[in-house]
This record gives sequence, structure tokens and C-alpha cells, in this order.
Amino acid sequence: MTTLRQIELESIFLISIVAASSLFFVIQRNNNYQPQLSIASAIPAMSAPSEVITSKVTISSQISPDGTKKAIMKVTQNPDDTSTYDFAVADENSANEKPIFTRTLDLSKNMTIPFNTWSPDNKYFFIRENAGDNKSVFAFKASGIAFSDTEQYFDVTDLFSQKNTGNNFEEATGWASESLIIINTTKENGTKGASYWFEVPSKAVIQLSTEF
Amino acid sequence: MRYKKNKKTVRHYLKVYFLALFVSLVIFGIGSFFKPQFDCANSITCKSDLTVSVDNNAIGMFQGNKITPPKVDLDQAILQSQVLGVRISSEAKHIYVDLSTQTLYTYEGRNQIMKVLISSGKWGRTPVGNFNIWQKLPVTKMSGGSGADYYYLPNIQWVMYFHNDFGFHTAYWHNNFGHEMSHGCVNMRLIDAKELYAWADGPTNNELGTAVSVCNQFKEPGTCVQDNPIN
Repeated sequence: MTTLRQIELESIFLISIVAASSLFFVIQRNNNYQPQLSIASAIPAMSAPSEVITSKVTISSQISPDGTKKAIMKVTQNPDDTSTYDFAVADENSANEKPIFTRTLDLSKNMTIPFNTWSPDNKYFFIRENAGDNKSVFAFKASGIAFSDTEQYFDVTDLFSQKNTGNNFEEATGWASESLIIINTTKENGTKGASYWFEVPSKAVIQLSTEF
Repeated sequence: MRYKKNKKTVRHYLKVYFLALFVSLVIFGIGSFFKPQFDCANSITCKSDLTVSVDNNAIGMFQGNKITPPKVDLDQAILQSQVLGVRISSEAKHIYVDLSTQTLYTYEGRNQIMKVLISSGKWGRTPVGNFNIWQKLPVTKMSGGSGADYYYLPNIQWVMYFHNDFGFHTAYWHNNFGHEMSHGCVNMRLIDAKELYAWADGPTNNELGTAVSVCNQFKEPGTCVQDNPIN
């Protein structure tokens, strides 16, 4: 009975504080070992395609992951303050160059070849059009063949918007597999939204449980 | 009713102190016991299959998607892998992985040799710490996970393990470099993994393999920030 009386509220309170502190520190420490599902960051500047400038034509290219193909972008500055973007694919050594797509834009817009442009099997690639904060992504068959009689390419951004997912297209980071483009989104309030797969042949949009 | 005022002694406070210390040590000990371990990147092949392996008829699986692995000529791969690590200078080689920017750097002394985007662990964390390459394999298979996360990936080329089965290797099933995409390994494009494999050294009888530092942040040699390294 005497021992029980010694365990007063004061002692219990002190032990609880110490226990809670220990728990806090151990949870904090273990959290550092958990897999991080961080929001995808922008590709660092070093991922820029190789670039050659000849008079008013700028040529850049992006090699495929296996090093056998490259996507080429030629930008021609026009006298009327527009730029013409010519896209082509070729073998690694520049042989067998095949024109794919051409677009002329005013100076408020530009186009780029992303670092992860090629699908892992080199059958598809995508390019990006930038208009201020708005980005559009267009996917092509590397063979140069149109997807259908009416679709030379897929406007991934537009097709995604038509699905009314409740999230806004933010960025296509690369390919999750041979036919799946990874799309990151934002919610209406500007915060990070869900990630999606855009399936190139079928144009299906699949919401993911994992954020990329 | 009168309560007898309990006079506390030094002994009483010592008892409370040691009891509190005991409770905190027990909680910390239990918490540390359940700390995630870095034993395996690939739960199925980790213990049994760290060997050269080619299967040109197999179908791979990753994230629920069937994958067609690239065909690999085993003889050619072994022949290419027997070339000793290329050396630019006589200074020590070191591989750094910056997890914050998903970038791999290689150095000889303070001279940067490579800088490429990689994909580190998303479904399993890449261990932070300092290691050495302990095995080089020109081609192998990796498998792990379960359910929707199950994966089977044959014909993975240019593999270099630095901690158990955590290693550098080609990832032919995705092209999302610069973003986390692996189960703990360091995924690389084929062209980059092949170049790294040709440059880095495996262990010999007298020397450890090329040094590897996995950093939370990295700028240049001597600035590798490591939070809670495993060694």
C-alpha cells in the first residue's frame, strides 16, 4: 500500500511526458526512412537537348534512352517575328531523317523536346508547346504515320481536359511504360492534384493512386 | 478528514527519474526495432538471383503492365563487360547520387566525368550512405513486390550493386528519368548505364570497387549531405 501511495499524479505526469517525448523522437527518426512520395520536380537545366545554331536556324535533338534514335527540332526565325518549328526523327547517326510535324508560332509561344520525350520502345515521342504558364503536349508515332485519318497526332492536353477529371493538366513528365504518358495535375485551388496515365493508342485516361 | 502530508524524499525522486528513463528507453528500443531495413531492393530475387541471367523469350511485368524486354546477346554482353574500367586520370573514382535532383555524378578527384538524370526509389527508399561497388553484372533479372506492385524484369543490363541488391542499372521499362520510379535501385537510361558500367570498377583482390555516395543533396565532392545514413 505504501508503494502505491508513492505513485502520485505528479510522477505519472512526469513519466507520461517522457514517454510522449520518446515516442515523438522515435517517430520523427523513423519517418526519415519512409519512402518519399514527393511531388515531381522540374527537370534540371542540364537535361536540355544538344543544340547547334546556324544563322537563323537552331537545331536541337534528344536521343532515345537506348541511344538508337533521336528526335530533332529545327527552329527557323522568320522575318515576320514568328518562328517555324520543324520536327523530325532520325537514326542515332542522323541517317534516315523523317519529317514528322511543322508549326509556326508567334514570339509569345515556343516549342521544346522534353528530356523524356521517347517512349521506352521508341515507337512514340511527345513534344511540348509553351505559352506562358500554359503547356500543351502533343504525342506522335515515331514512324511518321498518323494515328487515324483525322489525327496526325494526339493533343494530350486537350484530350485530357475533355475527360473532365476535375483536375487541370500541369505537366507530362515522361513514360511509365511503352504506351503510358505520366501526367501531373493541379486542383482548381492550385494545389497538387492526382497523377494520371494517358494511354497513347486508346487515348484512355487512368487516375493513379500514386503521385508522381 | 485530515490527509497526512506525504513528505517526498530524494529516494522518491530518484525512483521516478529512473522509472521515466526506463520507460523512454523501452519506447525508443521498440521503435528502433521496427525501423525499416535496407536489406533488399527486389524482394524476390534479392537473396537468390544476383547472377548473370538472360531470357530472351520472357515477358516482363511492371506496375500491372506487360513489358517486352530487349533481346540480349549474352556472349556479347559478357565480352563487353570484361573491359576494365575506363580511366581519364589517375585520381580516385567516386560516384555521387543526389536524391533531391535525381542526378548522378561521377568524379575522378575533383574532375566531373558524368552528370545524368536517374530515377531512385519511389516504392522503396534508396539507402543514403557511403558504399563501394561490390559486384558488376552485364545482365540479370530482378523481381519483387506483390499484388498490383509485383514486377518481373528480365534482361536488365549493366548492373552494379553497391549495397546488397541496391544498385545502378538500365531501366528499359520506363522513360521518366529525373523522377523517382524504382523500388530502391538507381535506374538509368541504357546509354548512361552502359557508360557508367564501362567507367566504374568492381572489387579486385586488393581493392574495393568504386566508391559510391548516396546523398540527400550534393553539389560537388565534399558537399554530400546525408540525413540518417545507414552506415
